[in-house]
Amino acid sequence: MISYYIPLMAIFLAVLISIKYRTAGYIITAIASVLFFLFTFRIFDYITYFYLIAAIVWIITSVFSISYSKKYGRWLAPLFILTIAGMMTILYANNFLVFITGWEIMSIPAYLTVAINKKNDMEAYIFMLFSEISTVLIITAAVLSYYYTGTFNFTGLSNDMVLLIFAIGAMSKMGLTPFMISEWLPIAHGSAPANSSAIFSATMTLMGVYGILKIALLSPVSIDIGILFIIIGVISVLFGALYAYISENMKSLGGFSTIENNGVLMAALGLFVAVNDSVLKEFILISIAIFAMAHSIAKTGLFISIGHTGVEYFSAVNGGKDTVNQVGKFFAMSSLSGLFPSLGGLGTWMVLESFFMGAYLYGPLGIASIIAGSLIAMGEGFATAAMLKIFYFTDSHRKSRGKNLENYTILGTGITLVFLFAVSFLIVGKNYISGIPSVLVFNGFMIESRLGVSDFGLITPLYIVILLTVFTVIIFLVFGRPKTRIANRWNGGVEHGEYYNSSTYSNNIRLILKRVLRTKSTDENRVETVDIFWLIMINIAKAYRNFAKFTAYKIMNSSISAYIAYMIAAFILIIIIVSLV
Amino acid sequence: MKYYKFGDKTGRYIGRTEKYDIYTSTITGIGKDEDDHEERTQGEIYFNYGPSAGGLRESVNFRLLTPGESIRDVIINSGFKRRNVKITGDSISDAMLKVERINGFHSASHSIAYALAVEDALNVENGDLNDARIVEIELERIRSNIDVIKGLCESAGFAVPEKQLLLLREEVARIISSAFGHRYYFSVNGINSIDGDFSRISLSSIEKQFRSIYNGLLSSKIFLDRLQENGILLNPVSSGPAARAANFRYDARLDSESLIYGKYSTVMETSGDTFSRFLVRAEEIFESINIIESYDIKKSYRKHRMELNGTGEGTARIESPAGDLFYYVNINEGRLIDIQMCSPSYLNMRNFRYGLKSGNIFTDFFFVWESFGIWISELEVGFQ
Repeated sequence: MISYYIPLMAIFLAVLISIKYRTAGYIITAIASVLFFLFTFRIFDYITYFYLIAAIVWIITSVFSISYSKKYGRWLAPLFILTIAGMMTILYANNFLVFITGWEIMSIPAYLTVAINKKNDMEAYIFMLFSEISTVLIITAAVLSYYYTGTFNFTGLSNDMVLLIFAIGAMSKMGLTPFMISEWLPIAHGSAPANSSAIFSATMTLMGVYGILKIALLSPVSIDIGILFIIIGVISVLFGALYAYISENMKSLGGFSTIENNGVLMAALGLFVAVNDSVLKEFILISIAIFAMAHSIAKTGLFISIGHTGVEYFSAVNGGKDTVNQVGKFFAMSSLSGLFPSLGGLGTWMVLESFFMGAYLYGPLGIASIIAGSLIAMGEGFATAAMLKIFYFTDSHRKSRGKNLENYTILGTGITLVFLFAVSFLIVGKNYISGIPSVLVFNGFMIESRLGVSDFGLITPLYIVILLTVFTVIIFLVFGRPKTRIANRWNGGVEHGEYYNSSTYSNNIRLILKRVLRTKSTDENRVETVDIFWLIMINIAKAYRNFAKFTAYKIMNSSISAYIAYMIAAFILIIIIVSLV
Repeated sequence: MKYYKFGDKTGRYIGRTEKYDIYTSTITGIGKDEDDHEERTQGEIYFNYGPSAGGLRESVNFRLLTPGESIRDVIINSGFKRRNVKITGDSISDAMLKVERINGFHSASHSIAYALAVEDALNVENGDLNDARIVEIELERIRSNIDVIKGLCESAGFAVPEKQLLLLREEVARIISSAFGHRYYFSVNGINSIDGDFSRISLSSIEKQFRSIYNGLLSSKIFLDRLQENGILLNPVSSGPAARAANFRYDARLDSESLIYGKYSTVMETSGDTFSRFLVRAEEIFESINIIESYDIKKSYRKHRMELNGTGEGTARIESPAGDLFYYVNINEGRLIDIQMCSPSYLNMRNFRYGLKSGNIFTDFFFVWESFGIWISELEVGFQ
């Protein structure tokens, strides 16, 4: 039994060691993550996928940090590892109290990391504000659960109120609409190092998904809450993808991409909560797990690619091209774009299949499902454009020299995504695996989406990877190395002196949707994205402050007569309310 | 110089020669140019177009300052087509051969403006050629305006009206060729002389065909959408159709005495956009036909070579199809010792830039460019 807790003990030990020995701390974290990874084969259900995802991300980011974090102070390593320790505690939790403990252990070092590397105080405070809102709501959900079940353990619930409150709490941490600022602001402007940004974006938000899923599995079916989640998810997908596409701050782009991915997961969770059909429900559950896995690993790749540039804005990128880096980045970005042959392609396909199958449920859920599926597909289109921006504009137009561990970490991320795609038939439940031997697709290699007995859609990931590889090799063997002829581009007859840049690349959408996106130029002549939901919140806060001022000066102005009038009015109001109840 | 004097600026600005700034009745030294370009900001690029690229009739280079899609400014380099014409020292009749080749498409305007300047310098009485010269210029205006509208159709991808207008332009060129012996008026105009048979000019078919195409274009919502609120220019320092499209009644036919027009109605529009310039150009075709028909010249002129040996300075300003065209000559015993020319393309090029940077995007570029009817050939010519 004690061996079960070895990874958890090791990671807390790593926190202490890292204060003095940074590299040793990261190595122990990687080892603890590997051990944690091994447990995922011991306890097998779909929830276990989250252990697998988290472990892969922690291993990659720990290895990346060995080289990357040299340029940061001594506190980065312990805070980074403590954040991971908090997340591991969450994954170990089988009751609300341990979960909340883990949630706080995860959150506090995170906003300390933002605060230590701050440009100004606001980012850390906003991060803390939304983290604590989420904690308060999760505690409320825990108390409510205790009220209904008499225990803090995760047990079956007969009421969906716990799920609703818990989900709103988790949403504010995941940066879903309208709380998008809690995700992008600390990442983009809090100067969080890339390794921390990677775990904030890839696994911290994943803990929210994990928590909601855990409670959803205990809760009854609820179409209303399901549709609410779908709406929030879809809005997050669209705005997240759009804002990612127009972001000039690379980390901001990553943050918005996470919002988009979390939106997809939230919408899928909504469908999961609303659906009663066990076959479809299980398929949605696997879709969530696969999508979350793809998102987390690929997002890690994205952030370490950004961190590798050493700068924040696309306009400042000056690093050379490296083939190893580019191959890894290509597959990681393909995954985040929902394209084959990567795990993200499979995850996106499964989520979209879930929604399109949801159309057969008819009624409001069927309509919501088909609309959500279409809008998510549209959001994925914008996401592809955003990922192309990262792929193309995170290195300059010249070749780099020398080898770098960071480049190989990025390659490792990309290869992992392709490998997991190829072997995905092993991680999808048996009910959805089949084959068509008559066309040489043997049993066990084909993934089917299904609503009932018959299949809805088919895919054979291993065949895709093999065919792509085989044809590439055949072409290479037949035609040899591509004979490249380099010719100078015709530039109207004058010397070529300009390159298309990231800002011009995405300016079409800024112009087309300028009323929605409210893009503006900052004092440093940089194009900035304006989160309209945050603007609305600020406006509401200002309106409230004005109202409070008005109340203070006009009503609560130390005038005895005004107080007496106020008390009489309040007294009458209470009598009316009590009599109505 | 009957119509101009050197001194302080008076009236509206006409443009710039190599040595002078020209106003409606005065010539001044070149003033300070305060035409600063926009600063390039973070994320913006200069998108290069030309000088040798599809869609450009003449060599000109544009560097469009853009954050992507929208055009914030443009740096124009028209110097690729720079021609330095050795002309000083030539006799005034030999110089005509060079002047009429500065811009073949507007050869009548250039050769007549030059002839008028020489006649002003040498006090040659030219009143009896006034009407015939007006007819020549108006006929040239018809062809030029058809060409501009053709360019707008080409920009919109309207291949059918574009080809119809090309045919119509060719028909006008054939009328000119039939009446004057050369479709670009070469060797037609001389000092106090014209060579042409005006009885061969018949425009009833041209008017009918153009009206049909014009009505067709006006009924196309797609075409109008591409032109309206695009390339807006409401600059009082402008000339020709671009000025009249912005409700400025600027017209050398009204305020220059080099050629005396009879009854004539100025076509005006108010919006200053590409669509307004299109309307002005189109309506001026009908107006030019009216002017030509009102003179109803049926006679034939024979050119006679005049070798004049006088001395003096002279100027002329006429309304060429694109706006004010000004010539100044200084003659010593029948030979040119100085010649200055200010073409409408000078102001039009400046205003094209202002029009383009007024909230336009890449796809608006060609519409704005074509609507000004700029000729680099007359802009980039130097006299030596």
